[in-house]
Amino acid sequence: MLPPLIRLENIHKAFDDAPVLRGVDVDVPESCIYALIGMGAVGKSVLLKIVAGLIAPEKGRVFIHDEDITEMGHLELAEVRKKIGMLFQNYALFDKNVYENIAFPLRRLFDLSEEEIQERVAERLARVALPGTEERIPQSMSGGQKKRIGVARATIAKPPIVLYDEPTAGLDPVTSQKIYDLVREEQRATGATVMVISSDVAGVLTIADRVGMLHDGKLVFDGTADEARKSTIPEVRQFVHGLTEGPL
Amino acid sequence: MSAAPAKTPFWLLLPAKIGAAILVMAKQVGGLSILAGKILRRLTPGQIDRHELFRNMNRMGVRSVPIIAATAAFTGGIMVIQAAPFVEQVQATSFVGWAATFTTIRELGPLLIGLIFNGRVGANNTAELGTMKVTDQIDALRALAIDPIAYLVVPRCLAMVSMMVLLCVIGDAIAIGGAMLTADMLLDVDPRVFWASAVERLEPWDFWVGLIKSGLFGIMIALTSCYYGLQTKGGAPGVGRSVNASVVAAAAGIFIMDYFSTFILD
Repeated sequence: MLPPLIRLENIHKAFDDAPVLRGVDVDVPESCIYALIGMGAVGKSVLLKIVAGLIAPEKGRVFIHDEDITEMGHLELAEVRKKIGMLFQNYALFDKNVYENIAFPLRRLFDLSEEEIQERVAERLARVALPGTEERIPQSMSGGQKKRIGVARATIAKPPIVLYDEPTAGLDPVTSQKIYDLVREEQRATGATVMVISSDVAGVLTIADRVGMLHDGKLVFDGTADEARKSTIPEVRQFVHGLTEGPL
Repeated sequence: MSAAPAKTPFWLLLPAKIGAAILVMAKQVGGLSILAGKILRRLTPGQIDRHELFRNMNRMGVRSVPIIAATAAFTGGIMVIQAAPFVEQVQATSFVGWAATFTTIRELGPLLIGLIFNGRVGANNTAELGTMKVTDQIDALRALAIDPIAYLVVPRCLAMVSMMVLLCVIGDAIAIGGAMLTADMLLDVDPRVFWASAVERLEPWDFWVGLIKSGLFGIMIALTSCYYGLQTKGGAPGVGRSVNASVVAAAAGIFIMDYFSTFILD
């Protein structure tokens, strides 16, 4: 197995004195799809935002490419974020048309000509199966389409790390699987290191190389998708198989 | 059955309530000061997003002209209508021009335009930033290595302050025009007499006082609307709460600032 590209050590985070994460350790190997699963409100999104440097942990360290981002200042962190693409749970698309949303990172971070930007946006839109939608306003599009636009925006700068926060939340099973397939294809094409958060265990296990499960503020499982399916840890077994009886 | 716990008397709770209110106020003043510091640090010419600045100047300033013009015209007229019976009683028609322009330029213009600007632009700005905050768009900007203060807040603040001053100049001119027209119709004061009375007694400093006040009110509206927008929590209801808090805080701030600036600039 390749060495970890993302390493979280002893992460603690609380909101209004209520602890959410209580000493989480995660290693995400390079060029791997790492799925983080767990019940709702267990701190999965918080952990992903900590990886992106959007939330600072109260205790613990986050290493990306062996650099501790918790020690970094505002400008250094901005440099690290250029290596990260992120899809947000509720899309977080801007009040602009599809073209401007996807072109946004290119315009702000790179010195590219309009022709180059047009070319790359068209390529991304074709990749997410939404060609010709440049002029449409995201607010008028379906949830699945918005997720695809979010994927296109998160990956247009070809970041080596991509974070997906609930990429299939609120979508029907067919669209969900299409999104998962897109995540998989995209990762295969670029070799990026991917972290996916999902409550949809059945779907996310079809694409994950490794799986971690958060429960009660800690990582209670870390292994392959097959190991997760066969796990005898009561919480993992109940969650992965969707059982009503158990500790959850 | 155990007895219900005795209710704490109001006078015992009062110090705690006052203390809590002071803490909230101190937190907000601290937050506003930190935001002001962050904005000042990013005010170098190379860092300002000109496209965003001009876009905001257009939608915040240019599009506010009709409502400012309408309000100013009526305000100028109302001033003369209110003063008309006394002016006629003491036969002081030659002072109408000076009184109306002096009051408009130094006080009513900046104050009323500030309040309207707060209601239209400040509220809208808080709602926009608040919506961006609760829908993770602010985090999305940060995740894309874009500084939300430099990209969103600085151009909005610059646009609000500059447009507030410009709108005040436009509003003052229209209010004086409204007053002149009403004085002509109601008191039979010739516009030339009205104008001569104003020009003769007004000092350039009076004009500067109005401009300084409008700039200060612009800073107050810009800071509070951005601060409350960026502090928004709790989805759509949270956006509503932030807009309400922002408008009230900025309006109160405008009056407090007006009180002290009137003392200092007099």
